Amino acid sequence: MTEIKLKQFGEMLLSRPAGREAWLAAQAYSLPKDDEKIIVDFDGVLVLSPSWADEFITKLKEKYSQVELINTSNASVKASLEII
Amino acid sequence: MENNTIKAKRWLNTISGENILSKQEHCPTRDIFQARLDKIRLNFESKPEINLDILYSLIAIIGEIGNNAYDHNLGKWRDMMGIYFDVDFENKTIVVADRGQGILSSIQKVKPETKNDLEALKVAFTEVISGRYPEKRGNGLKFVTKVSKDLGIQINLHSGNAVAKIENKKLSFENSDQTINGVLAIIKY
Repeated sequence: MTEIKLKQFGEMLLSRPAGREAWLAAQAYSLPKDDEKIIVDFDGVLVLSPSWADEFITKLKEKYSQVELINTSNASVKASLEII
Repeated sequence: MENNTIKAKRWLNTISGENILSKQEHCPTRDIFQARLDKIRLNFESKPEINLDILYSLIAIIGEIGNNAYDHNLGKWRDMMGIYFDVDFENKTIVVADRGQGILSSIQKVKPETKNDLEALKVAFTEVISGRYPEKRGNGLKFVTKVSKDLGIQINLHSGNAVAKIENKKLSFENSDQTINGVLAIIKY
């Protein structure tokens, strides 16, 4: 199991280029090569847009079969995750 | 003093090469826009009456609309690159404007049958489609609509001679007698 703390990528996760950059960095340094459970922790993320989420969360779900999202109660996090 | 909506319209109508924006109002690149948006967030956070859930959703809406301008106009600006971004705290009005290709031109890249500005705005706000084919995207304005309706935020997004309006938790479209070359978004919170 691998846990990713999204706050490490910033408190305001907004643009597609930033999401793409985060995805590339996570693949290089944080994510496992094999399919295993990934926990994504949104604690400390203040603002999330669907553009950033689409570049990171959508790709994460395409690559790994078990992705759990935790601490998603922030309103912009909830709304962005609902729409992607 | 000139309000930000009037200034945005004046800027959108200036002739090429003329700049009426200050350095504080003009964000030539996405990085500068992001830094200003962060500063605006901190400014809002210092106000005791602010509801943080509403604030962070409002910032997400501004971020989505502002970043759209860069996503769809990179290398295609009419003349001056970047956006006009201003927050009027007194009148609770935020303006994001660009001198880019406009929504009709962007939508016609993937839906050439789109006839006019009004139709293009309807497509942009209601269909999961993006001018940036073959990239899979196009949820941004649906997000803006949903969150604005949920929170009672009012938005007028004007491009060409059509306007998309979100007010009283409803999305509507209409033609306008004013023409906006590019995009002008007016957000009232």
